[in-house]
Amino acid sequence: MRIILLALLIFSPLSHSEELSAKEWLTHMSQALSEKQFKASIIQVQADHVRPLVFVQGLVGEQHISYVEYLNGPPKNAVKVGNKVTFLEHDQPPYSVTANLIQGVWPASLSGNITKLEQGYQFVLGGRSRIAGRAGQMIRFIAKDEHRYDAQIWVDMETYLPLRYDTLNRDKQLLEQTMVIELVEFIESPSILVEASKHKWPEVINQADRKDAQDWQFTWLPEGFNMVVSDNHRLIGIHEPVEYIALSDGLANISVYVARTTEGPMPEELVTRNGLSMVVEKVGNAEVVAIGKVPSATLERIARSLALK
Amino acid sequence: MVKSSQEWVSAAVDGEVDDQTLAQLASDVDSHQEWQRYHMIGDTMRGELPAAIDLDITASIAAAIALEPTIMAPKAKMSEQGAAVVTASKPSNVVSLFKQFGQYAIAASVALVAIVGVQSYDQDPESPLPVFNTRPLVGTMSPVSLQTGPVVNQQGYTNEQVLEQRRRVNAYIQDHMLQQRLNPSVEAQKANTADVNQ
Repeated sequence: MRIILLALLIFSPLSHSEELSAKEWLTHMSQALSEKQFKASIIQVQADHVRPLVFVQGLVGEQHISYVEYLNGPPKNAVKVGNKVTFLEHDQPPYSVTANLIQGVWPASLSGNITKLEQGYQFVLGGRSRIAGRAGQMIRFIAKDEHRYDAQIWVDMETYLPLRYDTLNRDKQLLEQTMVIELVEFIESPSILVEASKHKWPEVINQADRKDAQDWQFTWLPEGFNMVVSDNHRLIGIHEPVEYIALSDGLANISVYVARTTEGPMPEELVTRNGLSMVVEKVGNAEVVAIGKVPSATLERIARSLALK
Repeated sequence: MVKSSQEWVSAAVDGEVDDQTLAQLASDVDSHQEWQRYHMIGDTMRGELPAAIDLDITASIAAAIALEPTIMAPKAKMSEQGAAVVTASKPSNVVSLFKQFGQYAIAASVALVAIVGVQSYDQDPESPLPVFNTRPLVGTMSPVSLQTGPVVNQQGYTNEQVLEQRRRVNAYIQDHMLQQRLNPSVEAQKANTADVNQ
């Protein structure tokens, strides 16, 4: 009798979680990602390229602090204290931007509003498998149309933290993978975060050269994509002035640029093996450049549907 | 005097001195080196050198080690303690890491990935980094890779144009990546307000 009770005790959390729907899993994950204190050792795989990193997150006093360190190659770190993210890289002075997460580890919307993703993706419960020594529940993000890529995520059944995130192209081939190889939960914030909270980080950079863009609109956008930012700034490196529009459906981010056509020829289309595509459309004496991790046909259609209000 | 002492040693090596001179020589520390040298010269001339000459460098090494400040010691100490006090030693690491950064503009960094990517194609088309497949602006529709210079040249592009094109493609990709860094918060906020509005 006692054994049965014990067995019931052990399995009850599992049987409880079994009742969760795909969306409930994701909501739990989004909450865990923003509240839990943990350290995750992660590898990011793009084509044959592997990048190891460590992600630490915790609460010091009232402040949410997280820290990312890329482990291979020249030192590259980022620290988030409150709403300020500071990037520390070997070849330039540290700079800060206002952001609610360190970009580049998990897609921003995974720790944000899951409902937003439902416009472009269907959530489907998948199987379970063991990742980083933990039981993970898989949830698929199935694109509702052919204009974006599919994704799948494994969520830790104990902590609800993400264990693995894959992006798949239309042929179901893996484009990118972010996978936890070790996950440790903390009760108290590790000293590295306490140290980071005391450190004086540079002020948020002033993006003075960003001016308001013209009144752009799109005659067509895939369902779920909306305009996030639009401005007029100079391109990094070559300092050409461009009109800039950022689009997002929560998982995929697209940048659309409008610039004056230059003498040199530009490729019409360009696809990288990690799924990043670029399309150049000529409209009169302007060129519209669209970049993002979506099929190039989507970018082409978006670039063509750009119009002034 | 020096000359004659050298001759002495030389003679001793060749076994041409009596026991008394030899004893005298043995007590003369200054001549020991010469003794060794003459022996070696003799060996060399007779072709009796061993495969590896055991020059007496041990003495100088010993001296150098003795002189060297104890650089090794702190390292050994750290590795002993390291395992036990990882958390305690971390903060100091962090601070030094945070402080050691140089002086360039933002522009340089975000871009890095893209630049490395494209450049590495030139040397190695099988590179693990993302591979570009492009259709050139003019000419046929057959897929032509951006990195294959000769093919592009057949399309009538000069080297300069290819470089210029690469530079601009890079600039766009880098800017796209930088924007992801600059805008995430805006994105989330807008997404939330959009939900409220709906």
